[in-house]
Order: sequence, then structure tokens, then C-alpha cells
Amino acid sequence: MDANERLIFNKGNELVQQNFIPKLDIKSEKIEEILPKNLIRDELRIPDVSEVEIVRHYLKLSKINYGVDSGIYPLGSCTMKYNPKVNEIVARMTSFSKLHPLQDGNEGALEILYEISQMLCEITGMDGFTLQPAAGAHGELVGLLIIKKYFETKGIVKNKIIIPDSAHGTNPASAKMAGFSIIELQSNEHGEVPLDHLEYAMKQGDVAGIMLTNPNTLGVFDRQIKDITRIVHEHGGLCYYDGANLNPMLGICRPKDMGFDIVHLNLHKTFSTPHGGGGPGSGPVGVTNELIPFLPIPCIVSTKKGLICNYDNHESIGRIKAFWGNFSIILRAFVYILSLGADGLKRVGQIAVLNANYLKTLLKKKYNLPYDRICQHEFVLSDKYLPNDITTEDVAKRILDYGFYAPTIYFPLVVNGALMVEPTETESKDSLDKFVEVMNQICDEALNAPEKLKNAPSNTPIGRLDAVNAARKPILHD
Amino acid sequence: MDFISHDEKTIAEMLKIINVSEVDDLFQDIPKELIIESLNLSDGMSEPDVLDKMREYGSKNNIYSHSFLGAGCYYHYIPSLVDFVISRSEFYTSYTPYQAEASQGYLQAIYEYQSVISRLTEMEIANASMYDGSTSLAEAAIMASIITGKNQVILLEGVHPEYIDVVKTYCWGQNIELKITSEDKLNDVLNEDIAAVMFQSPNFFGDITDVLVMSNKVKDKYPNCLLIQCMTDPTCLGLLKPPGKTNVDIFVAEGQSFGIDPSFGGPGLGIFTAKKKYLRKIPGRLVGKTKEINGNREGFLLTLQAREQHIRREKASSNICTNQALCSLSALIYLVSLGKTGLREIATQNFQKAHYVKKALASIPGYKILNKKPTYNEFIVMCPNINGLIRECKNMNLLPPLQVSTYYPEMSDVVLVCVTELNSRKSIDKFIKAAKLAINNEEERVD
Repeated sequence: MDANERLIFNKGNELVQQNFIPKLDIKSEKIEEILPKNLIRDELRIPDVSEVEIVRHYLKLSKINYGVDSGIYPLGSCTMKYNPKVNEIVARMTSFSKLHPLQDGNEGALEILYEISQMLCEITGMDGFTLQPAAGAHGELVGLLIIKKYFETKGIVKNKIIIPDSAHGTNPASAKMAGFSIIELQSNEHGEVPLDHLEYAMKQGDVAGIMLTNPNTLGVFDRQIKDITRIVHEHGGLCYYDGANLNPMLGICRPKDMGFDIVHLNLHKTFSTPHGGGGPGSGPVGVTNELIPFLPIPCIVSTKKGLICNYDNHESIGRIKAFWGNFSIILRAFVYILSLGADGLKRVGQIAVLNANYLKTLLKKKYNLPYDRICQHEFVLSDKYLPNDITTEDVAKRILDYGFYAPTIYFPLVVNGALMVEPTETESKDSLDKFVEVMNQICDEALNAPEKLKNAPSNTPIGRLDAVNAARKPILHD
Repeated sequence: MDFISHDEKTIAEMLKIINVSEVDDLFQDIPKELIIESLNLSDGMSEPDVLDKMREYGSKNNIYSHSFLGAGCYYHYIPSLVDFVISRSEFYTSYTPYQAEASQGYLQAIYEYQSVISRLTEMEIANASMYDGSTSLAEAAIMASIITGKNQVILLEGVHPEYIDVVKTYCWGQNIELKITSEDKLNDVLNEDIAAVMFQSPNFFGDITDVLVMSNKVKDKYPNCLLIQCMTDPTCLGLLKPPGKTNVDIFVAEGQSFGIDPSFGGPGLGIFTAKKKYLRKIPGRLVGKTKEINGNREGFLLTLQAREQHIRREKASSNICTNQALCSLSALIYLVSLGKTGLREIATQNFQKAHYVKKALASIPGYKILNKKPTYNEFIVMCPNINGLIRECKNMNLLPPLQVSTYYPEMSDVVLVCVTELNSRKSIDKFIKAAKLAINNEEERVD
């Protein structure tokens, strides 16, 4: 299919009668008499387009877009699992969708928020949760502000955070937004945190803690996790768990047991809420008992009189978003947890890891696998040894030609030419086998018909785009 | 229900290929003492059972027939095609469009969103979205500090109180000094070291500021000081002069009014726009239009990513990654569904209806409108018997206006009334009646 759909602004423009707004049914006054003329706008360059034209336009655009419902979406660290439809039905129930954040008569909503907090505590082992953060990175910021406040309250100056080189890019960016400077720690040959380097860094004295994802972005569970958190704690630091990779740990093991003090979750990864083309997400943050006073406001507290909202907490980091977080996303995650229950969640962890190892075992026959060991939810291949100067980008673009989405590329940075693959638990064996078939075929093409990769994609609505010129002379709107 | 398709036989086949004997072997890297037996949660549920349970929770929420509550979250009519389009699963089940060739549909839609926001605000650039209005304002403060190299910002009273709290938190994180003052006292606190002046218009209490007068006041003396405007219900832009015409440097808004349900306050949409000269400092994603490398067709892609965290890590201008893409799609569909004619009509009706209610309340003895400036669809009014008013509203199945004391305890007898196009004549008449009934209730009168 060709892209080449004109912009919506080039359609319509005739005066179109639409009936979305009922006629004004009160006595109106001359606007100019009640609003000074200099406050009123003149022109508005938004076309009037008929409903049928709008629907056709966006239907056409949807057809040149790929989602999980189109097929496997093996983006590493993104956990592109199936989004259950029942979640969407519940989110659209008017008893939730039409609820105002500042009204009373909201007991149902508060109960859900309270109960999912309890569930997330059970799943992660933590003692308290805030549901306010709107996304993973927002959760990271909240977690780091909690660390900042914790030390401020104790009157201790600690302004550095340790982050391994395999970390998600949001980690260092969030740390900086909370006012920390970053000590980057190189992973060792197993993709794990080297304990001696960690100890050395912690001994500098002004280190507030570490941000870690485990399993890490190589898909590897750090076997020394208990030692890592012990060392950080011994030197007075706190341990932050980046929950982007929690999916394979569901029902298997828990961040708090690993020794973490703070954890953020991505409900749009682990708990099946849709990614929506980049959002909205939800990034709840869980903490240990000691850190509960620092959680953002408002907090929902259970009392003898029922659930109440606590707005006053002088130790809190303050408010980090208006109202109650991304409620309808939290609602979807709640429905997911109810649907799966304890056993279902454990099965998610198990099958996510089974699928990843199955895919890894089959793909490493033809592709370089720099860290060759049992993986958890994902694994990282590289373009090393591919013939004819074929790069990771070439492979990724060729995958699109076969009608699949590509893995995450050039991340993590610790692997040159990385292809990071995360199948998730919801892919069937058949779907995985088809992906392997395509990857094998691409490998053969790399040897025998490299131009097919170099010119890829050629079966997509559009060819490779000129990113350099796009950044040099940005055109950002019409 | 676990949405997993493997049966035991398939699992056995896969284990054999991996060359382990059971699933537990795949967790051999995890220290034994960390492995848990099972989670203490209830059993999974079937779909009808889940739906029943959720309806039960839903029944504990009160949904009123009409609303006079706004204060940052608004009831506007949402054309049916908005939900139709965002329910296409090619859109809502997709990830951030990193692979442009497989994501042209969404990329074009985001490009159209940026375009429609630019057109509505007349600002030179709009990003692909932020979390919400409050975090957009906070990020704008940080952006201004980065642009000017100064670490003091001024915020004018009248910004939504929850936004003020969010800005406080973000500024504390970045060691930016935040000064809150009134518009009258702005001149006393302005000086060379101020990065930006932030204000809301129409503000939390409904007042519309003459932004051009304000920007001249600031810029005449301090041309390098940035002016940041925020807004909680941008439907007013169908009627009011847009920020691009009043010399605003950064304009942010909560976009929930554009086709997004209240949903207890989230998700909303952070609209973020700026002057073009600040392009390289703007947070969040941007979609650009370009051409094929080996062809002449136009296409869309994520651009200027060197500003962002996944490339620049700690040197990024913000840590934002996930944004509110699907909500920006709602806003796009909403805005093009209405078109310029519909947007003008919506804004006019909000304005006219609110004005009508304002006049009607002012004519009831004991009620006093407190706004000194023109207002859009919200205004504040002092009530002779606030509890009576709230109760009478509820009795008539009307969601009562906000008691301003929620945020400002000293304003104990003041409500913030919001009237939109969805308030029918009938509901307005009921509200006026409720206001009248309230004063007849002597025993409840607030001293």
C-alpha cells in the first residue's frame, strides 16, 4: 500500500454543516459588548471537513500503521504484549469515564486505586505505592526525588547516582532532572555490575544510590543482586529498581526481596495497557516503609471511616501531576490483574522467559549473540559477522518488508549494532517460528542478495527516509 | 484468562529445543532464596465475572446528568468518530513510531496534530505531547531556565493550584527558585535574573488577562525574560486571541477538553508549544516531514531526537519518553471534526452560556460575582449558603460547582462555576433554581 494520503488540511474547506453542538438555547448577547475586541481572535486556519471524509482519511492512515494486533512486535525492553479488549470496555464504562477528579461520590474509583496499590505491593514486595506518575520516566523522576528528599530530611549531602552503562536512557536523564550527577558504571564481561567497581564508587561518600534494572537490558538476571544492594546499603545509599523489565519476574521473584528500596512499574508494559503509539502510560512507584512519608500527594489511606485522601504530608516530595494519575490506564491494569490472578501472573513470567529463550536458541544459529547464556525476557543479537557490510539497520528495515515490526536497534549501547528482541508471553509458538523463518531468510539474503537489505524496505508504504535533512531543516507542521 | 496460547505439549517441545528439562531451569540465575512460591492474590477471573465486578465498583461512583464543575477538567461533547478512530487497534496497540516505514499512519497523524495545534495557538512549533497541563508548565519552567541560563522563575497567582504544586516540585528538583506573586506586584519582583514569568489565562478563577499588555510590560524592560502562558480549557481559543499573537514564548495547555473523557482526571494531554528559536530546547518528541533517501515521496519520521534522553541521556533537555500519543490523536480528531466553524461555535456557546448564568446568579440577592475581568466558561461567585447550594444541586442531579475552599480555605463561601455547551437550558434553569432554593434555607446559612 502506498502512503501518499494527503494531509487532512488539504481536504474539505467548504462550509460543512455538522451537528455535534446543539443550537444555542439561551438568550445571547453581542460578544463585542461583553468581551473587549482586542481579546478576540480573527482567523482560525482549521478546515471544515465532513465526517465521512475524516473517517476515511484516518481509516486509511490506520492501514499503514503496525500494531500488536497486526503481528509480533519484538521490541526489546518495550514488552509489547497483547492488549486485552475487556480492558478497553471497562475503561469506557461511563461510571469511570465520566467521573470528575474533583467530585465526591467517587468511592468506586478510590477503592480501585487503593486495591491496585495493595496488589502492586504484593507483586513487588514493596510496602506502599503512589499511582500518580504518568509514565515510566515520570516514575523514575518521582523515585529520585524521593531519594533526594530522604537525604535532605536527614541533613546529608549526597548528590550522585550510580547508573550502569546498560541502563535505559531515561535513567540518567531522570537523575539529572532530580538534581543528581551521574557515575556511569561499566558492566563486566557477563553483562553484570562489577562489585569491586561498585564498592569503589560507593566509597566516595556522596553517592545517594544506584539505579538498576534487573533483569538488565541484555536480558540477564544479575546473579550478585543481593551483594549489589548490600554494598549500596552498607555505604548509606538507596537502591532504585527500574521496573521496565519486570515482566519475566512476575510471580517468580520480587524487587524488594532483591534488596531494592524504590521501584517503578510500567503498567503499559508489564500490565497489558496499550502503548497507544507512545502513550499514555502509567508509572506507579513503590517504596519500603521507611520511604512512605516521602511519596507524592495525594495518598489514599485506609482508616476506620473508610478510604480517605491525604493531601497534607510535610515530608512528601509534593505533587507531581494534577489530579489522580492516569486513572483510566490504571483501571485497565487493574482489570488485567483481576483477570489473571496469582497463577496467571506467574505464568506470564514463565512463558515470557520461555518464549525469549526459545527465540534466542533458534536465532543464535545464524546471528551473533554476544552474551550467550540463559536469558530472561529478552536477549541482544548484534550485526557482527554479518557479510557484505550488512548493518543492524539493514536487517531491521528488511524485517519490515516481511510484514513484521523490527526489534529495538542500537540499544543497549554496550553492544555494537545491537538488535534487542523481546517476544513477550502472548506470542504463540507459531508466531515465533514465523519470525525465526524470516530472520533466517534475511540472513541468507545478507550473503546472497545483500542489495535486498541495503535497499530495504521496499514493500512498505514508503522507503527509507532522509533523517539527516529532516533534522537539518525541520518541517514540523503544515 | 491469561492470554497465553501454549499448551503443555508446546511448552515441552520448546523446552527441548532450548535444551532444558523444565521451565524452572530458565530461572537458574536467580538465587534460590529469592524465588517465591506464589503471589498472595486471588485466582484469575473469567471475562463476565470481571465485568460484573467492575460494574460493582462503577456503581459506587456518582455520575450526574449535568455538571457545573470544571477547575481543570471539563465536560465537552465528544463526537462519536473520536472514539471510533482511536479504537482502531493499528493505532492504539502500536508503540512509539521508531520504525517510520511501518508507522507512517500514526506519524502522519501526529504531524497533523502538531499542525492543528500550531494553527489553533498560532505558535511556531508544537511538540507531539506531554503528560498533562501541569507537567507541561513545570517542564516549561525548566526549559526557560536552560534557555536563559538563569535559575529564578516567577509564577503569577491564578495558576491552577495543583499546577502550582507540580511546578514547585519540579523546580525543587532542579534547584530553580520559584517566586509566586500577584500580577499587581509583578513589577516589584521582576529583575535581570528572572528566566521567565508564568501565568494562566483564562486563569483558575476564570479571569482573562490581556496578554499583549502583560507581555509588553515584561518585555519592554526585560526583553530576554520569557513569557510562559498556560491554559486549562483551550476550547476558548475558538474565540480568544491566540498566544502566538501576543508575544508568548512558550504556551502550554491541558488538552483534555479536546475529545478526551474526564476519567477521574487522567489521562489528559499536555499541549506544548514555543517560538521556533527555542526548537532545540523543547522537550518531548517531534515528528517531521521529509523525503525518501532514494525517491521523491514525502514521508514522516521522529526528528531532532538528539534532544532526547535515549540519545543524549543525562544531557537531554527532559527525561520524557512515553507521552500521551493516543490522547493527541483524540485531540486531532476532535479539532478537525469541529473545524473552524465548530470551534468558533463551541467557544461562543461556552462564553454565552457562562455569561448568562453569571448574570442570572448576580441578580439573586446574596450572590456576588467576584471576577473583575472578563471571563470565558468559568467564574467565581460568593454564595450566601454554600452548603445549601451544593445540596440543592445534588438533589437535582447536577454535579455542583467547585468549592474554592478545597484549595483556598480562606475563600470558604466561594464556588467556581463552569458552564459549557453541554449545559442545556433546562439544566441551567435547574441550577438557578438550586441557587434560589439555597438562600431560602435559613438554618444552613454560613455565618
